[in-house]
Amino acid sequence: MFDLPVGQGPVHITLLMGPKLARPVPAEVTEALLSAQITATAGERSGFQLAFDLTKNGIINRRLLPEGFFDPKTRIIVTVSVRGTLDVLFDGLIVRQEVGASNQPGHSTLTVTGEDLTLLLDLEERTARYPNLPPSERVLNILRRYSDYGIRPDVYTEQIAQPPHQDLRVHYQTGTDLQYVTELAQANGYTFYLEPGPNPGQSSARWGPEVRLGIRQHALNVNVDANSTVDQLTFAYDGTAREEPQARWQDPGTRVSTLLPQPAISPLRPPLGKRPTPALKRKTLSGTAKQQREQAEAELLARAAVSADVITGSGSLDVNRHGYILQPRQLVGVRGAGRAYDGDYYVKSVTHTLRPGSFQQNFTISREGLEARSDYVRP
Amino acid sequence: MADIEPYENALGAIPGAHPYSRGSRYHDAEIGIHRQAGGTEVRYAKRRLLPSLDQQETQEHVVGGGERVDLLAQRYFGEPGQWWQIADANPVLDPRELTDEAGRVIDIPLAGGFPSGRGDRRV
Repeated sequence: MFDLPVGQGPVHITLLMGPKLARPVPAEVTEALLSAQITATAGERSGFQLAFDLTKNGIINRRLLPEGFFDPKTRIIVTVSVRGTLDVLFDGLIVRQEVGASNQPGHSTLTVTGEDLTLLLDLEERTARYPNLPPSERVLNILRRYSDYGIRPDVYTEQIAQPPHQDLRVHYQTGTDLQYVTELAQANGYTFYLEPGPNPGQSSARWGPEVRLGIRQHALNVNVDANSTVDQLTFAYDGTAREEPQARWQDPGTRVSTLLPQPAISPLRPPLGKRPTPALKRKTLSGTAKQQREQAEAELLARAAVSADVITGSGSLDVNRHGYILQPRQLVGVRGAGRAYDGDYYVKSVTHTLRPGSFQQNFTISREGLEARSDYVRP
Repeated sequence: MADIEPYENALGAIPGAHPYSRGSRYHDAEIGIHRQAGGTEVRYAKRRLLPSLDQQETQEHVVGGGERVDLLAQRYFGEPGQWWQIADANPVLDPRELTDEAGRVIDIPLAGGFPSGRGDRRV
């Protein structure tokens, strides 16, 4: 019974490619995969880089490359299964390909680089007017154009309601959809990103607050002997990162300008540390005087919230030893780093590096203060 | 078509709010609420419908002596707790039936293949 070949291990990777409807790639392509590197960052677009072995008479060199199988704007979906649990790691489009032809046999490579589906939103500039629509409605209108790629809008109302007044001002979009949507997200303290999954070919476009609540992911253990799941973890505490923005707003009726009160950032950013860092810098926001009052308040809140994270940690882990994929843009617990730096963090970015036989992740985590708020993390 | 959700909902559909983790077969099960006569609410997982047998990509495995479903799951998926995937892919009521007789041919789902009928909940 035990002399049978064992399945190829706990991590399986599947590639799907195609012009718009992605299908599983031929087996030769998957076998030629040398490495895959995928980066996912909170509030930014994700990217990928796949390297394939390019043999002289292989199917890639003879048929697939000339026939346009790896052409730009080809959709590529990477799914992995770690210990039987499936996950869509990436859903994106090829942007460029590089062929390195080498004199030594077996050293020629094809490198394919691309970005996630937000690239679609960034392809053409348009000018559009959105009369009488609050920001979330504008974002929903934009995102609905891309449903043929399986993008499902996941849009939330603004935290500070901004009722539009058509007779006072009409909002215009200049530039690409992605620029406009990101701009609206930043003005409200929200993030905009695409999250692939749960099934291949689907992704949800989240325009809303960062996910800083709920059950944490399985904790990262550092410096606990055989139970360590993290190879290394370093923390940095930058005292000047947090700033206290100040905004003045002018009442168009009376021409009196008032300093807006400092908002509490806890609804957007529930505290993760016990001792929040005081803001050392004060920064005056420009251009808020002539906005609507709600807009100025939203921008003030956004600036205060975004700069609050002063503690950043970075490290790397081996998925096989950790047993789970660390997902970006969610919370995770840390154990074993000492009293000051233990506790829950927000995962800001994760870089997955897959090679035959290894699955590494480099991650950065952040929060706003020292010391954990509770005595426990989720194991 | 998706619609705009109120801001409070952003804090409701949070990862891990579901009682079953992502590796569980009940991860996509709908959670119902049963009200007892006294008014107390009891939450329960609704019945899980099995994926149809002919839509999954499978490989065949000939059962040898002394094998168990969890050993097969360890071999093919790297995780013994995923034995239910093998049970799902075969028309049996009791998972022990699968490995009772040596020589029986059973279907093993391909690791990394997505079965049809997964829910669309990610968290």
